[in-house]
Amino acid sequence: MTKLYSNKKVIAILVLPGLLLFLFAILAPICLSVYYGFTDYSGMGKATWVGLKNYQELFKDEVFWISLRNSLFLAIGFICIQHPLAIIVAAVLDKLGGWGEGFFRCVFFIPNVISVAVIAYLWKFIYNPDFGLLNNVIKMFGGKGDINWFSSENAIWAVLVVLIWHGFGWGMLIYYTGIKNIDPTLYEAAEIDGATKAQAFLRITLPLMKPVIQVNVTMAFISALKQMETVYLLTNGGPNNRTQFTANYLYQQAFKAFRYGYGNAIGVVFIIICLLATVFLNWVFEERNGFKFGRAKA
Amino acid sequence: MSREKTISNAKSKKDKQSRKIILWIVLILVAIIQLFPLIWLVDFSLASSNEMFTSGLLIIPKKIQWGNYKTAFVDGHFLLYLKNSILINGLAVILVIVVSIMAGFACRRMKWKLSGFVKTLLLMGMMIPIHATLLPNFKIYSKLGLTDTIWALLIPYVAFSLPQGLFLMTSFIEAVPVEIEEAAVMDGCGIFRIIVQIVTPMIRTSIATVAIMTFLNNWNEFMMASTYLSSPTWKTLPFSVLEFTGQYSSNYAVQFAVMALTAAPAVIVYVLLNKYITKGVAMGAVKG
Repeated sequence: MTKLYSNKKVIAILVLPGLLLFLFAILAPICLSVYYGFTDYSGMGKATWVGLKNYQELFKDEVFWISLRNSLFLAIGFICIQHPLAIIVAAVLDKLGGWGEGFFRCVFFIPNVISVAVIAYLWKFIYNPDFGLLNNVIKMFGGKGDINWFSSENAIWAVLVVLIWHGFGWGMLIYYTGIKNIDPTLYEAAEIDGATKAQAFLRITLPLMKPVIQVNVTMAFISALKQMETVYLLTNGGPNNRTQFTANYLYQQAFKAFRYGYGNAIGVVFIIICLLATVFLNWVFEERNGFKFGRAKA
Repeated sequence: MSREKTISNAKSKKDKQSRKIILWIVLILVAIIQLFPLIWLVDFSLASSNEMFTSGLLIIPKKIQWGNYKTAFVDGHFLLYLKNSILINGLAVILVIVVSIMAGFACRRMKWKLSGFVKTLLLMGMMIPIHATLLPNFKIYSKLGLTDTIWALLIPYVAFSLPQGLFLMTSFIEAVPVEIEEAAVMDGCGIFRIIVQIVTPMIRTSIATVAIMTFLNNWNEFMMASTYLSSPTWKTLPFSVLEFTGQYSSNYAVQFAVMALTAAPAVIVYVLLNKYITKGVAMGAVKG
């Protein structure tokens, strides 16, 4: 038995495909990024070693700090707007029962299965000043409906709204599953003791959902940090970098501004920030399983 | 006394009913917010571009413009891109499952010194932002001549879905009782037969979960695809939309049609299988 389970050859065969994939698709590019981050490579021609110049520039680069601030803004937006709504809707849905429960659960999740490519362009039209849905809704309620949703003040909110809308079903579903796992006899006991529904929600649902909330808060942070696709298509960081995000910025630097070396330097710092953020959040919430959070959806 | 009780009973019944109505109103409101943009999308996709400049929320097209969909279908390379999407995602799902079961079994069950280290290393992939690998991977793939081939998508799709798959698989493999495996070993089973014939059937539900999560992660992916691909040979469904907005920048109705068309396959499959998919997502997301 032990002999069979410690056969080196078998172990190697089992692990190698995964390990090679990791080395080739994840570790090798990171190493390459570290190298290019020290050069002034433009994408073509020769790469010259410039030492820490890119990193010195990065820490003085206002856009980089704006992109981090925007990530923080998104994370706070998710946590203060999307998640409370998601928890409340999940709790309401849990009480509904019958066919309606399954129906709404299905409906709320639909935006999540639609490609960001479609979502971003759809919302570009919704925000359109000429025939956009949003301005028309405002007109319907008697407003003027001529708001420029992509102005420098509004744009980041416009991005936030799309992301909250798109990811709502995902968050709701996770909270809903968490609520379903709560022992129903607790609510019965509370009812016998004369607790109102609101009290039961605050005293039973929320405390017991703490681990789920922690997971979701962590995911919100990480996905805010890793935000790219929606912004890339919706505003591409504009106007004037007001909706810039780190991933989008490094892409622009490398492929639009032809500063491939600088883009890679941003990439390296970006990876370090993501690692630190994950470790930090796990440490804050003292997760038992360590590496829990992956490509999170908000 | 008994009369009082019936009155209070009737009152609480009424209370319950009005409470239920409030629940319904809240949920319908949320459903409208979540669905109306999509209804709007389909509605506008059936109108002509001239009709769009109204102040009404929805338009009743004078004539339903099926032609928009025809243009979208043909010029959007819908069939080719759909086929590519299905093929690439199908292969990615299969590879993720096979590789993660193998690695999961080796790290969880087999006895070797580095098992913990290798598992941690592979799971680290979860924390690495995909977008940071776009630049260097583009260089690597063009050096190796992989750009514009199916490998340029398949390799990163599998690699980046692997950590999550591995995480879920190990936690499920753990739950398989060791005694069963021991009995199989007594009967002369080798490791590979144990994995294929004993472990794999026992973790069917987790395989389904991994498949769903991998599919959802990669089906809508376009950042890597638009970085590593340039010819239409292997382009995936999101490209129908991405390419159209440039081509038909002034013909809004056709753009709406192509968006609705591209969204349709995933939405239809989801609505048909929503019970399994929501279950899978819930399981995957809460565990992973």
